[in-house]
Amino acid sequence: MVHKEDTDITRIAKDIMNQFAIIVRTARIHDPGNVAITTAIDKLIAMANPAIDSSGALTFEFIGEIFYVNRMRVGYSMEYFLNFAFLMREFKKNGLGSITMNTTLKSEDVQIFLKAFISSTFSDEPFNALMDGVAHINSFSVGPLQKIKEEKEFDTRKQVKKIYYNAVSYTKEIMNQIKSEKKIDIKKAKRIVESMVDLILQQEELLIGMTAIKDYDGYTFYHSVNVSILSVALGHKLGLNKKALTELGVVALFHDFGKMEIPQEILNKPTKLTEDDWGMMERHPFWGVRAILKFKGLNEISVRAAIVAFEHHLNYDLSGYPSVSIPMELDFYSRIVTLADRYDAMTSTRVYARIALPPDKALSFMIEKAGKHYDPLLIKFFIDMIGMLPVGTLLLLNTKELGLVFEGNATFPDKPRVLVVVDSDGKKIKGRVVDLTEKDGSGNYLRKAVKTLDPNKYNINLAEYLL
Amino acid sequence: MTAEEVIKVKHIIQTLLKAKKNIRLYPANNPIYVKTINDTFVVFDEFLNYKDELVLKIKQKEIFYGSDHVYHNPEKENNFAFFFFKDGIRELSFKKGLSKHELEGFLKSIAVDFDREAIEDDIVTLFWEMDFTNIKYIVDESFLTEDEDFETKATNEIKSKVPNVDTFMKAYSDAFNAEDVKETSIINITNEDLHLLAKEKENDLQDKTNKLLKVVLEMILQTESTAELENIYHTLKDLIIYSLENKNLPVFINIIKKAKETAENNVTPDNVKKQINLLLSSVNSEELVRHVCKILESDIDIDENFLNEYTEFLNRNAITPLIVVLGELESIHGRKKVINLLTQVGKKDLQTLAKGLSDSRWYVVRNIVYILRQIGDKRALEYIITAAKHPDIRVRKEVIWALSEFKSSSALVILKDYLNDTDILIRKVAVKALCGIGSVDAREVLLNSVPGKDFLNKELDEKKEFFAALSNWKDPETVNFIIKILKNKTFFKRLRHNENKACAAYSLGLMGNKDALPALYKLKNSKNKLLREHASAAINKIEHGT
Repeated sequence: MVHKEDTDITRIAKDIMNQFAIIVRTARIHDPGNVAITTAIDKLIAMANPAIDSSGALTFEFIGEIFYVNRMRVGYSMEYFLNFAFLMREFKKNGLGSITMNTTLKSEDVQIFLKAFISSTFSDEPFNALMDGVAHINSFSVGPLQKIKEEKEFDTRKQVKKIYYNAVSYTKEIMNQIKSEKKIDIKKAKRIVESMVDLILQQEELLIGMTAIKDYDGYTFYHSVNVSILSVALGHKLGLNKKALTELGVVALFHDFGKMEIPQEILNKPTKLTEDDWGMMERHPFWGVRAILKFKGLNEISVRAAIVAFEHHLNYDLSGYPSVSIPMELDFYSRIVTLADRYDAMTSTRVYARIALPPDKALSFMIEKAGKHYDPLLIKFFIDMIGMLPVGTLLLLNTKELGLVFEGNATFPDKPRVLVVVDSDGKKIKGRVVDLTEKDGSGNYLRKAVKTLDPNKYNINLAEYLL
Repeated sequence: MTAEEVIKVKHIIQTLLKAKKNIRLYPANNPIYVKTINDTFVVFDEFLNYKDELVLKIKQKEIFYGSDHVYHNPEKENNFAFFFFKDGIRELSFKKGLSKHELEGFLKSIAVDFDREAIEDDIVTLFWEMDFTNIKYIVDESFLTEDEDFETKATNEIKSKVPNVDTFMKAYSDAFNAEDVKETSIINITNEDLHLLAKEKENDLQDKTNKLLKVVLEMILQTESTAELENIYHTLKDLIIYSLENKNLPVFINIIKKAKETAENNVTPDNVKKQINLLLSSVNSEELVRHVCKILESDIDIDENFLNEYTEFLNRNAITPLIVVLGELESIHGRKKVINLLTQVGKKDLQTLAKGLSDSRWYVVRNIVYILRQIGDKRALEYIITAAKHPDIRVRKEVIWALSEFKSSSALVILKDYLNDTDILIRKVAVKALCGIGSVDAREVLLNSVPGKDFLNKELDEKKEFFAALSNWKDPETVNFIIKILKNKTFFKRLRHNENKACAAYSLGLMGNKDALPALYKLKNSKNKLLREHASAAINKIEHGT
């Protein structure tokens, strides 16, 4: 029958990497000769050697935010979440791009490697220190972290924009189709979301960054796409697989279909909504279910989408709308989409809510409502995903430069890439991007974020700088 | 590209076309399937060892390798190039290191019959889900949206909202007194959180139809117009069909159960009740009954309790659809389950059930007779009798067994008629049935048949069946009747009479009655071999029990 080496090796690689993380963590507390470490090393060797024997060598690479083994992507389940996140940080900290196990491992070699790995962290040039430390052992070799080339980065940004606007354009089309009672092509929706999932798996910060630009006309379309992106990113953080992420993304994209039944004059009403207007707004989950089921028919995705459309304003404690007489627990996807929906809504300027909140304020409000409006568990992952300094945050650096967060950093949340718009002399400049992880010759960071401001307060058009 | 390479690539395309067909036709455990994967792998492996990469450019009706045609088909139907092109694939490449596992995934994806299978994915989605390492594809996504210029328009629109430059300077001056950046992350994800999350994800694997049902029922209670109600009613019906198409009987039962509860709830408005009752009555429709029966016929394990619950929802209107479907089912276990359903539901209307006796398919008629017999209602007899002269002996046989259970005088009349049936098998079964009834009247039917001329001319086997049946009575009257036959002296048709005597001896042996011994001893040395053997055997049986 058909061989399954590929899947086997990625499965084994997952275990090996997890075990390696355990060893490094233990070695931070104990001496390398300690029995806790030697036992863990023996376990690592028992896992790795059969795979090395059958594959010739095992190369673990860290590219973007993903680990690969022998060029195959290594996925991880939730049980390994913390150790994988730890390894990502360690690789980045050490400027390490790859570890190759060339020959079957011996305990002594692993101990030498471990020692070099730990001590290199304290060096000014950690990667070189690590390379020197393992130079005399044949079983290991290491490679540096590959920086994404500017040109490639530019291409990726272009791709991100294209995918984002494709999604908005598609959403606009299907929402109009719903209005004219046409059937929805779910295959297209899947394709759109798959592109978003790919980007989120590779470099989630860029696509999440697109959701920070909020001043578009046609709020509902952009909002639907933003909710889809934020939901997929959260789903990724929660360890959902690619297929589930697509399902979640499509479901999130459809969550506000019911709004198509609300007259434009209510959606765009510049004055305060009346009780009747709100009554109508509160019917949109109800109409959402109807729209999804009427124009799609039942299948796995539409069932899920209908549930989420109904529940996305219901709240974790069912205190929201529409009111329900039958007690029910919110669907897992509903709880995810609720977070994404509320966060995007709060940080957006809408016709009936003119003041958008800055991300940190929005998150603070959301934390206050954890356990009431929001799932207390999922909100933790959501906050962790949005990070301390999301894209669009206005920052004052210790260099007296003012800038906008241009791209987040999942590993070091306080060290994003920043687009400087006012220089240290207080002069407005054409933006240039600086990376807060950059260090000087003595190993000190060149820049540090010290103060945050709300860009909405200053009416700053993020699109001009981020697009 | 050398001519040799082009030939090799053309061969690869032809191999792929063949594989596409075979993988669609054969299951994974079939040797042809396995051979197809192996053969295709060999051609790829050979090429990739030689060239490292195979890049195919996809056009609407052609496939190119470099600038060379390797596939061309002017027709749109069954066009291998168009198969990829229509979903946006413009380039396909296979890299060295391609494993058999990956190749199998690729072949399985291209083997999907997108026109026939109810599939919500296109080929790109299937490839994407496969997560190939050594198969790459370039996709043109422009067809996904109609407005190709959307990006430019949207970007220009938003950029046109230029802010006042001074606001930046205002921000700069405010910044020195703004809030400090928080040094640490606000949230700490613990192992306990991960554990809880794992549980949440596990719970999330459950079927979602029941959840949607709750939503729909909520919506029913909140409807504001008849049109809305009408819509929801259709949704509920779709939900029922969906659960049945997914072969999820428990969910289906739950839907109708909850719908019934809602209809019975005092707070439910009358118009809602009316709609739900309509829905509940559709449970008995041929469409839904057929769906359920298909599930019963499948190899899915079904809890008896669910079946019992389902039966409770069925009324007499389900009888005819059940009979129709009964005739269509192919498996014995499926038919058995439907028969059980009909046995329960059929009680509600014997007359409708009995209409199945007019079915043109003999096996349906036989099953209906069986069901009527299982129901056991005395009123069923009059219907069973109508099938007594059915041309198929399997039906007549079933009728006989049914009659044997009713034991009434009218059943005996029919059974008596069966003793003269044209088929020996039926006659023998009728004898057994009479024996099974065991009444004096049944015995009389048998006893009265023996002296006749017709009986004398019957085959030995059949006669033996009669006497074996009679041996069950053991009363003096029967014993004397048989002994009398044993002693009977005749000059005509002696061989036939000897057969009767041999059968009588056999019967007495089975009875074990010692009073018969003198008569049997007299025949022990008979010149007739048959008689001699049967008499000896009977003596042994009576005296020694062997």
